[in-house]
Amino acid sequence: MTLTMPSPSVATQTTEIQTADRLIALTRVSSTAPGTDPAVQALALATAANLPVLLWGQPGIGKSSTLTQLADGLDLPLETVIASVHEPSDFAGLPVIGADPAAQGVAMAPPDWAVRLSRTGKGLLFLDELSSAPPAVQAALLRVVLERRVGSLALPESVRIVAAANPANSAADGWQLAPPLANRFVHLAWVHDPEIVVRGLGGTWPYIPLPRLDPARLERSVARARSAVCGFLTARPDYTHRMPTSANSRGGAWPSPRTWEMVLRLLAFGYAAGADIEAIALAVRGAVGDGAGMELLAFLEQRDLPDPEEVLADPDGADVPARGDRVHAMLCAVVDAIKRDATQARWEAGWTLVARLAELVPIDLLVAPAMQLADLRDPLWAAPEQLDRLSALGEVLAWAD
Amino acid sequence: MGGLSSPARPEALDPAAEIDMAKLLAARRTAVAAAPYLATALHALTIVPSYGVPTMAVDRYWRCYASPAFVAMTELPDLAVVWLHEVSHLVRDHHRRAERLMERSRNHKSAGTPALDPEHPLAARIRMNIAMDCEINDDLVESFGDETTVKLRLPKGAVTPMGLQIKNGALFEEYVRLLPKLVLNGDLAWVECGSGAHGGEAPWELDGSGAQAIGEFEAAAIRFRVREALLDKRRWGTVPQGWKRWAEGGAEPMQDWRALLGSTLRGCLAAGRGAGDYSYRRPSRRAASLDGSVVLPSLRSILPRVAVVVDTSGSVTDADLGSALAEVAAICRSVGAHGSQVGVYSCDAAVHTVQQICRAEELNLVGGGGTDMRKGIGRAAAARPRPDVIVVLTDGFTPWPADNPGGRVIAGIFGSDSRYSEDDDDDDYAPSLPPDWIETVRLCR
Repeated sequence: MTLTMPSPSVATQTTEIQTADRLIALTRVSSTAPGTDPAVQALALATAANLPVLLWGQPGIGKSSTLTQLADGLDLPLETVIASVHEPSDFAGLPVIGADPAAQGVAMAPPDWAVRLSRTGKGLLFLDELSSAPPAVQAALLRVVLERRVGSLALPESVRIVAAANPANSAADGWQLAPPLANRFVHLAWVHDPEIVVRGLGGTWPYIPLPRLDPARLERSVARARSAVCGFLTARPDYTHRMPTSANSRGGAWPSPRTWEMVLRLLAFGYAAGADIEAIALAVRGAVGDGAGMELLAFLEQRDLPDPEEVLADPDGADVPARGDRVHAMLCAVVDAIKRDATQARWEAGWTLVARLAELVPIDLLVAPAMQLADLRDPLWAAPEQLDRLSALGEVLAWAD
Repeated sequence: MGGLSSPARPEALDPAAEIDMAKLLAARRTAVAAAPYLATALHALTIVPSYGVPTMAVDRYWRCYASPAFVAMTELPDLAVVWLHEVSHLVRDHHRRAERLMERSRNHKSAGTPALDPEHPLAARIRMNIAMDCEINDDLVESFGDETTVKLRLPKGAVTPMGLQIKNGALFEEYVRLLPKLVLNGDLAWVECGSGAHGGEAPWELDGSGAQAIGEFEAAAIRFRVREALLDKRRWGTVPQGWKRWAEGGAEPMQDWRALLGSTLRGCLAAGRGAGDYSYRRPSRRAASLDGSVVLPSLRSILPRVAVVVDTSGSVTDADLGSALAEVAAICRSVGAHGSQVGVYSCDAAVHTVQQICRAEELNLVGGGGTDMRKGIGRAAAARPRPDVIVVLTDGFTPWPADNPGGRVIAGIFGSDSRYSEDDDDDDYAPSLPPDWIETVRLCR
């Protein structure tokens, strides 16, 4: 090798490179705003609940960058492991032969990322390209994901695990996710929202805020989540364990005792954080699958209607649901309750409720219940004084004739 | 009616004050009485009076936009039908189905023209909206023909398949293809039902944060309630056929069969013994770093063998067969199986030819008699070396073997109108369902 004198052009080249690097750095400057997308919130919810999350998405839509943002936001060190390029032994531990294997056994040494996570005591483990990992690697990952053991090393409890996978039809060499591994994750479909991409390239990326848990609500949330899941599974025991029949959906979310436990935790976190129902729904469906998740949420929606007796006890102060169909359902339940035990006081409380609702919701919802209520009148009872607040009801009825 | 553009109005006029809310709500009540199974959905809608909308329209967040002028000039029974019509768009999940159809048209690669022209999104939207109106209105007519229900009729000028002289009782995905080239004539009413129908944003719509937006999952819960109400047996008498089908899941839009066949086949190829996995046949090179004292396996890939049994009994068209075979061949190639790895068996009542193919074009299919796929499957399974995956492409009118011959079997079953086949009572031979151990994929247009 011969040494050459640095020519004058080298100096200018260096500065060119530095300028180029500065330009690159400038294009990377961006600020963040909290993400409002339900998928993002569901990811935050599941991460807070320390449940393994699997993001399904086409290559290149920013799953990895989402994870970087998540780790930044949580202030956790990010360890990215590309599952498909690793061997089973990288997750099960590399055998290290000591002086006397027969007496001491063979130690299964963990790889460096696991040691780093264990040493810091916290972190975010990101398993990328999970669906491209061969079955043997997937089997080795089972223990990492569920029991948090890498070889003979146990990862600290606070380490969060997130994985990413490409849907089988977009990766020609893709594997079906093995059902036991699939059943350990909360599955979230990750799609790119053109609006978010535009805003991000304009300089503002969404960050993922962790749900803010209300310390005063913790016990109540757990009790509510328990009664929700138990109530549903009592009504629909067939959903306790239901493995899908088609090979395709077995690699996704499906109901099993393990995933119902995940749902319990997700609901408790959702309730404690006062999370958006859309985000909770997304996370729950990601855990037990669309069918079971949907039925659970419909069941809860019906069950979470205010208790008719409580409403009758305080018709002026009772909570009123926001959506018209739920107001209607609540009112029907109240009228049914009055029908079961018709006293003048309850009947008048019913009218107070109707008159109050007339100012809050579209009036046509009240027509049928109000007419049923009118039919319940005992001839001895005076006409309810609330009727003059219900003139709008008369207008609607006039049209119907 | 129809495509009236909104006249310029002074800002001072408040649509909420102008609109005859009592009439609009009375119409909703009439609609609920006529179709009690839709009550939940109708009640969940939020009303937004607007001058921008020509008639009535819905957005994807379950808000119903109504024009004060339209409400004033439309008779109450007609208005009730419009309510039912608009809410049907949402219950039938038209906007998401529209997005899927657009997506599929955009990614259209195989033979034939895509259902929509993605180059002209506005025209595609109108076509879809008309097709959706057909899907809804053919049922509305059916439900109100009955004297026992509230007397409602379809307003004059409403889009119906009969009016357009195309067949009845289809889904909008099919209607889009059936629509005549030029459908825009002056008589068609409400061809703009908003983003709740065709998925494209209309200028009068509020954004997702506006008044009482209902998200995807709440909407799914509402659909679930409607489905429950429809499946309530006590109400069967008054429910129109189309809604019955919808509730039973028979009206779910078909997933693209290419994607289904592809992922099933890939799954089988991967799960079969042929796929790449760790093997001790050749030790891992990493073993060197362990002083050679431990033998580690290395990643080996063995090419899978695929047998394709093709039904050439005449009831399957060559075009259908060709496209399915091309798909299978392409998938096999992508996992590295080609040439002698893929065998094709032409089979009707007997096996005619056996070929090893590289490309679907090299194939010639012989046959055209009765159908017995058992012969083909048996022959394929008897081949040595044994195939890992057997793909059967048939119209389904065949007996199936009683026992698994070994390996994985996928049945791709052709059928364009399988959804409504239960109506054809005069059918002598119903297709027999493949046994459980066969993965079944329905191949539709």
